[in-house]
Amino acid sequence: MDDGEPEPATKDDLKAENQRQSLQFKAQHGLVVCFFLLLLLFHGLGIYLFCSGFLLSRLVLPDRSECAVPPIDLPRYDAGNAEKGCWHPKSFDKAVVIIVDALRYDFTVPFQPKPGDEQPHHFHNALPILYETAVQQPSNAFLRPFIADPPTTTLQRLKGLTTGTLPTFIDAGSNFAGTAIDEDNLVEQLFLAGRKVVHLGDDTWHSLFPGYFEPNLTKAYDSFNVWDLHTVDDGVSEHLFPLLEPEMKGRWDVVFGHYLGVDHAGHRYGPDHAAMADKLRQMDGVLRRVIERLDEETLLVVMGDHGMDVKGDHGGESDDEVEAALWMYSKKRIFGRGSDVPATPPATAKERPVGQIDLVPTLSLLLGMPVPFNNLGQPIEEAFLSSSKKPDYGNMAAVSRVTAAQIHRYQGEYAKARGLEESATSTTATLWKQAGNDYADAQSQGSKIVDAYKAFAAYQAENLRVCRGLWARFDLVSMSMGIVLLVGAFAIFALFGQGLIGDRSTLAPLLLTWGCAGTAAGAVVGAAIGLLPDVSLAQTTSFGAGFCGIVATLVGLWPARKILKAPLPRSLWGGLCMLATLLLCIGFAANSFTIWEDEQLLFLLATFGVLFLGSSLGQSDPDDQKIGAANALSFLFATRLSSLSRLCREEQMPNCRSTYYASATSSTSASWQLVIPFVVALGLPSIVKQFFHRTRNYHGSAIIWVGVALRIGLVFVAMFWLLDAVDDNDWYPDVSKATLKTARVLIAQLVLALSFAAGYATYLWASPLLEVKTEAAEAETPQLTSELTEPDDPNSPIFTPFNEQPKQPKNKLIIFGYANAHGTRYFLLPCAWILALLLVQKPMGQGTLALCFISILNLLEILDANSLHRSPVGPIVLALMGNYYFFKTGHQAALATIQWETAFIPLKTLQYPLSPLMVVLNTFGAQILCAIAVPAIGLWKVPPKQPALLGRVAGNLATHVFFYAAVAVATVVEAAWLRRHLMLYRVFMPRMLMAVVSLVLVEVVGILVALVAVRWSIGSVGDVFGWPGT
Amino acid sequence: MNPFATPKPTDLLPTSTSLLYANLHPILLLSILAFTFPAVVADPVPALLGLAPTTALLQGLYCVLCLPSTGQSPPEEKRKGGEKRKAGKAAGSQDVWAKVVPTFLSLLLTLLLTTPVLTLTLLLFGAPLTTHHPQTLLLALHLALLTTPPLYYVHGLTSTTWLQLASLQVPIDEVYGMTLGACAGAWVGAVPIPLDWDREWQKWPVTVLVGCYGGAVVGKVVGGWVFKGARVKMA
Repeated sequence: MDDGEPEPATKDDLKAENQRQSLQFKAQHGLVVCFFLLLLLFHGLGIYLFCSGFLLSRLVLPDRSECAVPPIDLPRYDAGNAEKGCWHPKSFDKAVVIIVDALRYDFTVPFQPKPGDEQPHHFHNALPILYETAVQQPSNAFLRPFIADPPTTTLQRLKGLTTGTLPTFIDAGSNFAGTAIDEDNLVEQLFLAGRKVVHLGDDTWHSLFPGYFEPNLTKAYDSFNVWDLHTVDDGVSEHLFPLLEPEMKGRWDVVFGHYLGVDHAGHRYGPDHAAMADKLRQMDGVLRRVIERLDEETLLVVMGDHGMDVKGDHGGESDDEVEAALWMYSKKRIFGRGSDVPATPPATAKERPVGQIDLVPTLSLLLGMPVPFNNLGQPIEEAFLSSSKKPDYGNMAAVSRVTAAQIHRYQGEYAKARGLEESATSTTATLWKQAGNDYADAQSQGSKIVDAYKAFAAYQAENLRVCRGLWARFDLVSMSMGIVLLVGAFAIFALFGQGLIGDRSTLAPLLLTWGCAGTAAGAVVGAAIGLLPDVSLAQTTSFGAGFCGIVATLVGLWPARKILKAPLPRSLWGGLCMLATLLLCIGFAANSFTIWEDEQLLFLLATFGVLFLGSSLGQSDPDDQKIGAANALSFLFATRLSSLSRLCREEQMPNCRSTYYASATSSTSASWQLVIPFVVALGLPSIVKQFFHRTRNYHGSAIIWVGVALRIGLVFVAMFWLLDAVDDNDWYPDVSKATLKTARVLIAQLVLALSFAAGYATYLWASPLLEVKTEAAEAETPQLTSELTEPDDPNSPIFTPFNEQPKQPKNKLIIFGYANAHGTRYFLLPCAWILALLLVQKPMGQGTLALCFISILNLLEILDANSLHRSPVGPIVLALMGNYYFFKTGHQAALATIQWETAFIPLKTLQYPLSPLMVVLNTFGAQILCAIAVPAIGLWKVPPKQPALLGRVAGNLATHVFFYAAVAVATVVEAAWLRRHLMLYRVFMPRMLMAVVSLVLVEVVGILVALVAVRWSIGSVGDVFGWPGT
Repeated sequence: MNPFATPKPTDLLPTSTSLLYANLHPILLLSILAFTFPAVVADPVPALLGLAPTTALLQGLYCVLCLPSTGQSPPEEKRKGGEKRKAGKAAGSQDVWAKVVPTFLSLLLTLLLTTPVLTLTLLLFGAPLTTHHPQTLLLALHLALLTTPPLYYVHGLTSTTWLQLASLQVPIDEVYGMTLGACAGAWVGAVPIPLDWDREWQKWPVTVLVGCYGGAVVGKVVGGWVFKGARVKMA
C-alpha cells in the first residue's frame, strides 16, 4: 500500500478491492460447482448405461383374471360359474398344499449308485412315500422334478408359485413399501371367490398375502431362526391334522402348510447329516398320516420351493438349488400319463421336469379358478389326462388352449403398456395362429387333437423363452459402455483430487469449458449415430456425450501438466488411504468380504485411529499432542462403541447377533433403547459446544443453534420416538392410535422445519462466530504484533492493533475465536442437518449417528493437530465412516434392510417426493452427514485470510467422492464379471446398487449441500476479515 | 541436548554369539510356531499358554545375547581392539547379571503393561467383546512378547523415546523392524477370517497369531538388512 495516499481514499480502495475479490470468489465458486455437476453428469450417464444393461425389469400389470371373462371363446363350456369351475370344469373342491421348504428332487427318489458315488447319503431313501405311491398307484399320484427359476429364495419362489411369473430383479410397479404381492395370484383369486384359505407355517406368506387367510385357523411361525429345526414343523402338524378331521368340513377350502425343518436342517448341518435323515423321515410320517385322513374331494400337493446345494444353502441358480420335487395325490383315480411316458417317476431331475410356474395354471384349473392374469406356466399333463387307459388329449388340449389364451391376452396387454419390439413377438404370433388353426381343425375335421395340444404347448414354450430372454438377458454392450464412463470419471476424480499441486479452483473454468464442449459435441455425434437403424438412440447419445466429455476434460488438463503428478501415495497416510480403498474394492469380488463389510470397516477405522493416536503422541507441540491423542482415543472408542449396534444380514448367521431392534425377529426398538434419544438430546449439544468453546467460537449464532435450537429439537426427536413406542406397544390403550399418530406427525414436521428452515436461516445469515472486545491498550508493545503471527494457537485471544495511526488514542481489539473462524462458521451446517438426520433414525441408530457426529469433530481436531489438512486421509476416513455408520444405523447392503416405514415419520399418508426422501435420509444418513462434513476438513482452524481455500475444499470433496467412485467402479465391474455367480442376486447386485446409489447421492449432497454452502461460510468470514489476495 | 532428537538405529552386539543367535532367532521363532501349530488349531487356549514361556525365553535370550541394554548403546566404541577381550572377561559374571535383570524387567513390563494395552487394542479392532476372552488375551500376550521386550531392553522407559516409537519417528533397525513387522503381520493375519472356506484354522485367533510370528520374523530380517536406518514418511 502506498503510504502517501490520503486515508479516505485508502478506505474506499480497500472496500472496492474487497468487493472485487468477493465477486471474484463468488464467480469462481459458481464455476467450481458447475464443474462438479458436470462430473456428476458423467457418473449419471455411466450408471444409467450400466444399469439399463444389467438390471432388467418387468412391468407388473394390475389386471386381474375374472371368472366370467375367459380369455377366449369356450366352444363347449359355459364360463363364469365358480362352483362348477370358472373356465374349465373343476376336479376338486378342496386342496391341501404342503410346501416342504428345500425339498430337493433326489431326496424323494430311491438312491441309484453311480461310479464314485456308490453309497447312499443321509438324505437318500428317507422320504420314500412320494415315490412309492407314484409307482404303486399311478392313477392316484404322480411325482416329477420341479424346476425353480432363480433366485432360489423362498420369498421369490412363493411369488413364482402363486403368480406364475418369472422373477426379475426389479418388478417395476410393485408398491412402494412392503413386500405384498400386488399382481394377480392364486391366493387372491381363491380369497375373492369366497374360498376359505388357511395358512400354517412360514410367516413369509403373511408379508406376501396380508389378510387373505382365515384368521382363526391360520398359524404363522417365524422363519428366521435357522437353528431351530422343530418349532415350525411341530406347529404346522399340530394345527394341520385337526383340520383334516371330518367335523372341520366346510371350515376351510384350501390349506397351505409350509414346513421349514428340512431347509433349516440343510442350513444348519448340510444335507448329508443324520439330522436331515431324521427330518425327512419325520416328513414321511407326516405325509402318510395326511394321506390316511384325506377325503375323496381333496387334492394333496407336496412340493419343494427350491433345492439346496451341497452345503445346504440356496439362493443361486445351480442345479442342486433349482431342482425341487412336485407330487400330487388324490383318493380319486384321476391322474393320467401321456402315451409316450414311462410309468415310473423320473430317476433324476434332468428327465421330464416341469417348471414351478406350471403349478399355477394346473392348480387354478383343478380348483375351478381362473388362471392368474400374469401367468406364464402351462398345465401339467398328468393332472388332466385322466386315468383311463387312453389319455384324454381332448381335455388336455382344452386346458392348454385356455391357458395359452390367457398368456396371449397378457402378452397383448404387456406389449401395450411397454411397447415390445416386433421381432420379440413375431415367432409367438405365428405359433399362436398355428395352434388356433390346429384346434379348429381338430374340432371341425376331426384331425388329431394331440396336435392341437402340442401346438399350444409349443406356443407356451416359445413364449416363455422370449420372456426369459426379455427379462433375464444382460446387455453386455450397454454394460461395457457404462463401465467405460465410470472408469473415465473415476480417473478425473483421482487426478483432480490427488494429482494436482496448487489451487484447483483456478483450473475449474478451463476444465469446465473443455468438458462441456466435449459433452455437447459427443451428444450430437452420438445422436447422429443413434439415428441409424437397429441402434438405440438413448444409448448412443449418452455414451457419446459421456465419453467425449470425459476425454475433453482430460485433454483440458494438458495445459496444466506442469502442476500435475500421478495420483499415487507418497507418504504413510496416503499409502494407507490407497491401501484401505484398494483392499475394500478387491474384497467386493468375494461374497464373504462383501457380507462382512461392516467388520472390515471397523477394522480399517481402528487402524486409522491407532495411527492417529501414535502420530499425535509424537507431535512436538504439547497442545497438539494432548488434543490429538485425546481426540484419537475418543474416535477409537466411539467407533468401537457404535460397532455394538448391529443388524445382521441373513448370510452372517449364525456368527452374528442383531442388537438394532428389540430382538432378532422384531423391527421395533426395545424399551431400554428409548433412553438413547434422551441421552443424545442431553449429551450431543454439550459435546459440540465444547468443540466450539475451546477455540472461543461459542458466540452468537452458535449459542442460538447449538445451545438452544439443537437441544430443543433433539428433545422433540426423543419425544417422537417415545410416542412411537407407546403406539407400537400399546402402553396407553386409552389414548387412541389416531391421536398418537397426529401428535407424532406434528412433532416430526416441527423438527424438520426447525432443522431445515431455521437451521438454514441461521447458517446463511450468521456472522462469523467471533467475539470482539475493545480495551484500552497500555502501550504499543512489540509483543502485541508478534501475537498476530501466531494465529494458530487456538486458546489465546488475538490482539490486533485497532488503528495503525499512532496519534489516535491507543485502543486495541481483542478478537476471540480468530483461529477457527472458518471451521466453526461452516460447521453450523452439519449441526443443522444432524437434527433432521437423527429424527429419521431408529433410537439405536440415533446413538450411533450421534457418535458418528462426535467422531467427525474428533477427526477434524486430529487432522489439525497432526497438520494433515492437505493429506487425503481426512476425506477418505470420512468416506469410510460414512459407509461404516451406514451399517451401524441398522442397514445392510441388502434390499430387505431398507426401513420403509420411515417414509411415514412426518406424514400420515404416502406423499411424493417427501416419503421416498425420508427413506433416503434414513438409509444414507451416515453418508450424507459425512459428505456434508467434508469442507470442514479444509476450513478447520485455518487463519481467516488463508488463500486458496476454495481449491482446497474442492480437492477434499473430489477425494471424498473418489472413494465412492472407486467402490462403484469395483462393484460394477465385479457384478458384471460375476453375473452368473450363485450369489449375484443376494450379495453382489445389492452391493453394486448400494455403491452406485451412494455415489450419486454423495455427489449430489457434496455439491448441492456442502460445496454450495461454502460460499456463505467463506463469504461471511471474508466480509469481516477482508479477502486474501489471489 | 534436544529432547526430540531421535535415537540412532540399534546395532547388535559385535560378538560371534550375538551374530549367531540373531540369525538363529527367527528360525527358532518360526519352528516353535510350526511345531505347536496343530495344537493351536485344535485348541488355542492351552496351546498358546504353553507356547508363551518358550517365546518369552527366546526373546529373553535375544535381548541378553544380541542387544545392547539401555544406556549401554555405545559399548563397542569404548572397547576397541585388544581392550575388548580383556574388558569382556573381567566384567564376566557382573555383565551377565547386568543383562539378565533388565531382560527380566523387560519381560515383566511386557506382561503387565503391554499385554493389557494390546488386549484393549485388539478389542478396538473388533475382537469379540463378549466371548473368546482367553483367546484374545493370549493373542495379546504373544503379540506383546514379539514386540516389546527388546524395545524395553534397548530403549528403557524414556517417555520421549516411547512417544517417538509410537509415532513411527524412530529410524528402523532390527528391533523396531520386528515390532512393526509383528503388528503389520497381525493386521494382515485378520484378512482371511471372514472367508467362507470353513477351515479349522480360520478360527480366532489362529490366523492373527501366525501373522504376528511371520510378520515379526520378516520385519526383523528386513529391518535389520534392507531398511536399516530408514524412517517412515508420515505426511
